[in-house]
Amino acid sequence: MKKILSVGGKFLLRTKLFWGLAVLYAAGIILSPVNRHGVNIFLSPGNQSDVLRQVSNNGIIAVGMTLVIITAGIDLSVGSIMGFGSLLTAMLLSQQGWNPASSISVPVLAIICLFGFVYLVPLVSLGIRRESAKATGKASPATRITGWVLGLMAAGAALYFGSGEVEHKFGVLGVLITVPAVGLMIGAVSGVIIAKFKMQPFIVTLAMMVAVLGVGRLVAGPNQAIYPLDSINSTQSFTFLRELVFEIVPVPGIFFLVAVLIFGFILKATTFGRYVYALGGNEQAARLAGVRVDQVKIATYAMSGMLAGLSGVLYAAQYRQGLADAGTGTELNAIAAVVIGGTNLMGGKGSMTGTLVGVLIFGFLGNILLLKNIDSNTQLVLKGAIIIIAVLLQEGQGGSWWKRIRTKINPEPKASETKPIELSSPTKT
Amino acid sequence: MSSPDLANPPIQPFALEMRQISKSFGPTQVLRDVDFELRAGEIHALMGENGAGKSTLMKIAAGLLEDYAGEISVYGEKAKFLSPRDAARAGISMIHQELNLVPELAVDENIFLGQERLRGAFFVDRQQQVRAAREVLKNLDFQGQIDVPVSRLRVGEQQLVEIAKALASKARILIMDEPTSALSINESERLFQVIRRLAAEGVAIVYISHRMDEVFALADQVTVLRDGSYIGTLPGQSANRRELIRMMVGRELQEMLTSDKQNTAADLPALEVKKLWLEHPNPTPSRTMLIQNVSFSVNAGEVLGIAGLLGAGRSETLETIFGLHPKTSGGEIRVFGKPMTFRGPADTKMAGIAFVTEDRKRDGLILGSGIDRNVELSMMTVVSRFGVVLPEKETDLAKQTIHDLSIHASGPSQPTGTLSGGNQQKVVIGKWLLTKPRILLLDEPTRGIDVGAKAEIYRLVEQLAEQGLAIVLVTSELPELTLLSDRILVLREGRPTALLERGNFSHELILEYASPGGTIQPEFAEEEVLA
Repeated sequence: MKKILSVGGKFLLRTKLFWGLAVLYAAGIILSPVNRHGVNIFLSPGNQSDVLRQVSNNGIIAVGMTLVIITAGIDLSVGSIMGFGSLLTAMLLSQQGWNPASSISVPVLAIICLFGFVYLVPLVSLGIRRESAKATGKASPATRITGWVLGLMAAGAALYFGSGEVEHKFGVLGVLITVPAVGLMIGAVSGVIIAKFKMQPFIVTLAMMVAVLGVGRLVAGPNQAIYPLDSINSTQSFTFLRELVFEIVPVPGIFFLVAVLIFGFILKATTFGRYVYALGGNEQAARLAGVRVDQVKIATYAMSGMLAGLSGVLYAAQYRQGLADAGTGTELNAIAAVVIGGTNLMGGKGSMTGTLVGVLIFGFLGNILLLKNIDSNTQLVLKGAIIIIAVLLQEGQGGSWWKRIRTKINPEPKASETKPIELSSPTKT
Repeated sequence: MSSPDLANPPIQPFALEMRQISKSFGPTQVLRDVDFELRAGEIHALMGENGAGKSTLMKIAAGLLEDYAGEISVYGEKAKFLSPRDAARAGISMIHQELNLVPELAVDENIFLGQERLRGAFFVDRQQQVRAAREVLKNLDFQGQIDVPVSRLRVGEQQLVEIAKALASKARILIMDEPTSALSINESERLFQVIRRLAAEGVAIVYISHRMDEVFALADQVTVLRDGSYIGTLPGQSANRRELIRMMVGRELQEMLTSDKQNTAADLPALEVKKLWLEHPNPTPSRTMLIQNVSFSVNAGEVLGIAGLLGAGRSETLETIFGLHPKTSGGEIRVFGKPMTFRGPADTKMAGIAFVTEDRKRDGLILGSGIDRNVELSMMTVVSRFGVVLPEKETDLAKQTIHDLSIHASGPSQPTGTLSGGNQQKVVIGKWLLTKPRILLLDEPTRGIDVGAKAEIYRLVEQLAEQGLAIVLVTSELPELTLLSDRILVLREGRPTALLERGNFSHELILEYASPGGTIQPEFAEEEVLA
């Protein structure tokens, strides 16, 4: 019996991340109204698909936020970047010729292409020839020149492509490349300020949040706060971004899930991911171990900005409008989802799976409350409560309850856990 | 060594009596039925290896841990402390290894923190506080200023402020957890005098330490714990080193430290440093440079020791070589004859230099992560391919390190925060050995680790030197320095004063060159004039 309890307890502990979601899901099924045909509305494919669609925007931002928070940072600028992104998307899709939006986006895309190659080519070449590179740790002039040449070529191509798109209106591929690039640029600027001037992420991204919102409103112009977007003023292909695939999976949801997969992989399985955790766990130790801490930091903020930009594109597609203020408050929702998913604001701990769960908990909760017709203000109160409860279960008092239960199950102290003393064994190398 | 007037007073209740104390952290029992008796006016040393439960026992006495089994009485009265405040009210005060001062507050504000002298209901009476603080500090031979932030004081002075804080709260029982771990020899000596005087005034003192010399110099009684159990209590005078080690580690040690040092130095300069300097972050008229004119060279297979008092610039020398202060330092650094400029650890690592820092918890380890995640950090390419980590290589590497350095751990992913000090240090060293360094900078490699682990680290240093690594060793423990070094460079206030060859090593000589006002070897004096 004890053994069963112990194994069961361990299983519960290992999967505790999912239990909140499971309980919520079960509650959703039970509480859901049933329609005339006896179909549970919560479980209906249409409803499930709606939930995925609704969480996608917040979810994509939360993916980037997870990276940033694991480094013990925070990114408050994502909401503004998303709003700015939606505005850029709407303007690029619906207006011909050079306007503020295209005059910003196209050069930024070119800059990103240039620096992308200048930076990545030496990195890749170092990665390939690791032993020989170890001697100097610096890329040879040849690789650096290659980087510049390729970068300039890419920048030229980007300018050519961009101005081609500007001639008529931007296509869907055009905005999907350009707008995230702008987000990446904004994020990278935050990252550079944070890393090089040793400023606190909270302050830098707060400033960026305010500034980007301002830039967005300036770009929109005084009388054009909202840019409506429909199939008449934009290219037809754009509707693709709000369609359902196989009549069940919404396209934004696919973007979200793919982002979770890609960045989950980066975080879990790559050296960069290890550096992200190390940076959050002990920045000084990582720096002294020779990790290029500044670059890792800049990269995480750049990625976060890029995902926020992408989320802006999807917002524009979803709501058929571009709005500089669209993302107000989004950053806090994203942080909440990340935290519910067990990622620690102190850094060093967390996972993309957790963030997926956190985002879904938020989504399903909203959905259940909606189906029960609970008014939106009460929803806010309940969401606040859920954040506290979830985090409490993750690491607060909940954690120590588990520990107590575990010690009750397995009260004998393990002699093997105390440190054995060995003096005579000489170290061999 | 303790003076005769410190003999045990006539029978009276124990100042502190702990009976059958047991305590568990989760499944691990850290104390088993431990008894401890402390008399007024007594200096009672508490010894044991890391993890023996010394600190835990004293944290219980100081009210920091409430969830324990057993009984405590203070001056004959049963007591159960639920918070440090409770314990303080009963006259027990604990001074932790990491000092608990608020760096930006002045000395008197720190001393009276939480018990401010008030004028009216709300206003702090600074004048009275400063006066009272001066009163207390006078007895402690405190020579620093009182109305400056404690961050401006030296560590030794900060230590005295901690003691003053305890005394100001009318502590009758003072628990000191390794108070000398950050002090220079002179500062330690001053502290001992203070401790002896306090004991003579009737304060009961518990002194937790690893250092046997200190214990012999101070203690009236020595109690030894091992693996959470009470082993025994000896009178300080009759205790001898061998006996104590036996009690602490549970077996006789033939010869802990090898003294038959081989000369493994090759005639190949691995690291040459010329006229190294580093600016002082807050310069004073008397000292604008943290280090200056530091020049030396280390051959492959050689161990160069750097001696000096606290603040002599030993750690700063290593940091500067490692490129941690690229903007405020200068000088010439050659690695195997090749001139180098380092902009940061990433550069120095690539040049084959490794740096094991003084504070492994702050600078060396990611405490929440496993051994695997820590070891690989210095050289991710070993466990990855095209930027993707290969989990089995990762585990193998950690297992290899655990085996090579005989790290005692439950597995490759055991969080390093749960390892003992010695094993933590081995993880840090393992992390650096992964980079296949040719030059190894060691800063206080045995600080805060137990006797057994120390011996293992010594052997490791010798082995690495045999393998041809050039090693620069900084340590405050002179026996360690003279044991391991081939040559010793002595620093005083940021400048080199002597270079001693093996055979010329003596503690007196090193101290003479290290102490302010002492002599300088002629060649260094000349350089001074030229500079």
